[in-house]
Amino acid sequence: MTDTSRTLVLKAPPGDVNTVHSFIQELWDAEPAIGDMDKMAFETALIELASNVIEHTGVGNGVSCVISIKATPTTLSAQLSDTAEVGDIQIVGRGMPDEDAESGRGIALVQMLVDELGYNRVGESNVWSFTRTRVE
Amino acid sequence: MEFRTTLLEDNIAAISGEGRLNMVSAAALREAVGEVITQDRIRVVVDLSGIEFMDSSGLGALIGCLKTARQAGGDLRIAAPSKQVTMVLQLSNLDRVLKSYDSAEVAYRD
Repeated sequence: MTDTSRTLVLKAPPGDVNTVHSFIQELWDAEPAIGDMDKMAFETALIELASNVIEHTGVGNGVSCVISIKATPTTLSAQLSDTAEVGDIQIVGRGMPDEDAESGRGIALVQMLVDELGYNRVGESNVWSFTRTRVE
Repeated sequence: MEFRTTLLEDNIAAISGEGRLNMVSAAALREAVGEVITQDRIRVVVDLSGIEFMDSSGLGALIGCLKTARQAGGDLRIAAPSKQVTMVLQLSNLDRVLKSYDSAEVAYRD
């Protein structure tokens, strides 16, 4: 298997997380050998980050986000680059909130599902990237 | 996504939907649960058999609905979660808080 990658330019609105789901499906269709556990973990992590980006855009002009995803024989990786303001960027030591919290679990979930998670503010963009080592 | 409400025996309200429970559909779930609670149907089961994917926004909505049900003196349970939904519940340590049953029909048979 060679590397397979896909890129999406997401404008939200009108795009939303369901647009990202359809985009991820393209990678699964192109690479049917990727295992269910890896697909589930990768899709959950990417949707959490994309939701985070969309949610923190506030009202106004919405957000434009470039999402790139790549499958290699051993890894699945993603990069999100958005035009939002500096968002919720604390990723170190981020635990699960209390049981009755109704938000704040997204980044903690991502950390459990991927091997490397990075965030950088580059110019006017927030750049998130993560890699998951495939178990199958 | 639209959620459907079905009345089971003993005035238990079963709420179900098909698709993804995420930031797009979370508000509709809160609305559906809020409506049955307002009608004094305080024992609620959310049938997740048609939910292929849930993220933390969907999970937050379930927790909010659980609180609404408990504040009214009732409860909220879940039924038939998919593998992905189960994974999210376990990683969040909420599988103990949101009790899962094989089907909506058996959710209150204890």
